[in-house]
Amino acid sequence: MLSTMNRRIGLLLFIIASVYLYLSFQLPNYPYAPVDADVIPKGLGILMLILSVALFFSRAIETEAEKAKRNIPKKELLVLLAVFAMIFLYILLFEMVGFIVMTAVFIFFCSWFLGYEKWKTNIIVSILFPLGMYIIFVFALGISLPNGILPI
Amino acid sequence: MDAFQGLLAGFQVALSWEGILFVLIGVVVGTLIGMMPGLGPISAIAIMIPITYGMDPAPALVMMAGVYYGAVFGGSTSSILLNAPGISGTVATAFDGYPMAQQGKAGKALAIAAIASFFGGTVSVIMLMLLAPALASVAISFGPPAYFALMLMGLTAISSLSEGSTIKAMISAVAGVMVVTIGIDPQTGTQRFTFGNVNLFDGFDFLVIALGLFALAEVCMLIMNRKNRNLSDDQKLGSLKVTKSDLKEMSGPMTRQSFVGFMLGVLPGAGATIASFISYIFEKKISKNPEEFGKGSIKGLAAPESSNNAATSGAFVPLLSLGIPGSGTTAVMLGAFLVLGVQPGPLLMSDRPEIFWGIIASMYLGNIFLLVLNLPLIPYLAKILSIPRPLLISLVIMFSLIGVYSISFNTFDLYMLLVFGALGFAMRVFSFPAPPFILAFILGGMMEQAFRQSMTISNGSLGIFVNSPLPLALIIVSLLSLTIPAFIKWRSRRLSLKR
Repeated sequence: MLSTMNRRIGLLLFIIASVYLYLSFQLPNYPYAPVDADVIPKGLGILMLILSVALFFSRAIETEAEKAKRNIPKKELLVLLAVFAMIFLYILLFEMVGFIVMTAVFIFFCSWFLGYEKWKTNIIVSILFPLGMYIIFVFALGISLPNGILPI
Repeated sequence: MDAFQGLLAGFQVALSWEGILFVLIGVVVGTLIGMMPGLGPISAIAIMIPITYGMDPAPALVMMAGVYYGAVFGGSTSSILLNAPGISGTVATAFDGYPMAQQGKAGKALAIAAIASFFGGTVSVIMLMLLAPALASVAISFGPPAYFALMLMGLTAISSLSEGSTIKAMISAVAGVMVVTIGIDPQTGTQRFTFGNVNLFDGFDFLVIALGLFALAEVCMLIMNRKNRNLSDDQKLGSLKVTKSDLKEMSGPMTRQSFVGFMLGVLPGAGATIASFISYIFEKKISKNPEEFGKGSIKGLAAPESSNNAATSGAFVPLLSLGIPGSGTTAVMLGAFLVLGVQPGPLLMSDRPEIFWGIIASMYLGNIFLLVLNLPLIPYLAKILSIPRPLLISLVIMFSLIGVYSISFNTFDLYMLLVFGALGFAMRVFSFPAPPFILAFILGGMMEQAFRQSMTISNGSLGIFVNSPLPLALIIVSLLSLTIPAFIKWRSRRLSLKR
């Protein structure tokens, strides 16, 4: 039953649409609004249900190009996950450690991890970019970025 | 204020030192980001939006417009030099541009692309100048039902014209509207799908969606392709010279395709990508020597380049005069307007003439800057293509994170950026087009409002959408735009099965 990718995605979307629709029916009603806040969500939920069923039963066969697109080597997927983990760590820590330090560390390690070998250039960019951005945002645009541990 | 006075006021904005400076910044940044294979105009605009906070709206929007057409202009460089289109609107440019570069005529190809782009851009600004005010004066009488129907048409058009499966494009669009419904309903104050989380009360900021679905997802694709070749240092561009006979050869395609591109740009759903393909095919069909196409034909290079730039200015017609974007890119442009507190639409021309005419006037200037940037300066600009991919990836990630943080000062939005980045990547991998999603996200709130206003006017009767001719016609067109392509696909499959 779940032989093709479209069927699996169709099923997933069907579940999402059902949950969305269930939640739409939980929305409160007010007597004097001609169109209440729940009308559009209900319509969207139903539309999504229909579309997910249509995708599930669609006979469209994946083209070779489409198949090639989703054929990602496991190793590459791990690289991608690692980059996402780095971004996650950045978000977690940067308000505490500070924008300049965290950004410098991120750019250096992320570029190095993705295979950039000229470490001298890497260090220069990792230091100049956060400094430049800090100056533009804080002094030119008046948008404050977290200082963190640096005493600026 | 009549059009002539308006245009004069516009040139006052565009030719002030501030105007000139910001047009220049916009087109330079646009060209550079547009050149990077994998980073498109949507990412370029979204990355630049935080810079405009607190700026005066007129120069800020002049700059953002410059980023957009600059990106389309710059996209051709990497199509020609690397056979890796900078943006989707310049895919067709590579068909003849790359073969020319392989024959050692890279410089000439770049020069032809620049001249064709300049021509297409300028012709289409003239048409924009004539058409936008006319459309705005008609649109001023549109009521909520007509607006609802117009937006519906925009969404169905982009879904049916998207590459690949129409069902997937429609799912993308419906999902975009579903995401907008998260937050406090502006009309009744009801909390929808917030699960009591304070961070969700205002819904998602469009920048989170735009940077996630585009910039971050494009970064993911860059990570996958990080080993693709860069521009090598010793690559020779050759002479930039274009002879008189070249100019003569390209004049026909340039003129024709500027008009074709402009018209496709005005229509909802089409835009630069589709315009460039149609123009390429158009010129190949009418050419006396179609076999030259794909082997470095000057006509095959000039046609898509005039067309995609003409389509870009064309796309400003519905945006400026109706306030309704027709494509993913103009949807993000609308976001840039709204961030600055400017509502485009039929009233823009009379209420904020300096913005309406300032943008139009600045495009003349911007196209001249782009010609200068892309003709004599191109050998230096192209150096940016030799930036190592790993470094580029880290920097784009940082730009996206800073952009989101500087609007909300809230790490919750940064985590959401990551979530939408993953979603955008998954959509690319499983062939769900992202432009319908962003357009639906931008239009969704406006559509719901227009729908509910219409229903309030009609006291709850759906008849208001079919009783007057304009909404009815637009709704019929919307339904047809979804059913006709599906019907054609179904027929062609039946025919092929019979055989």
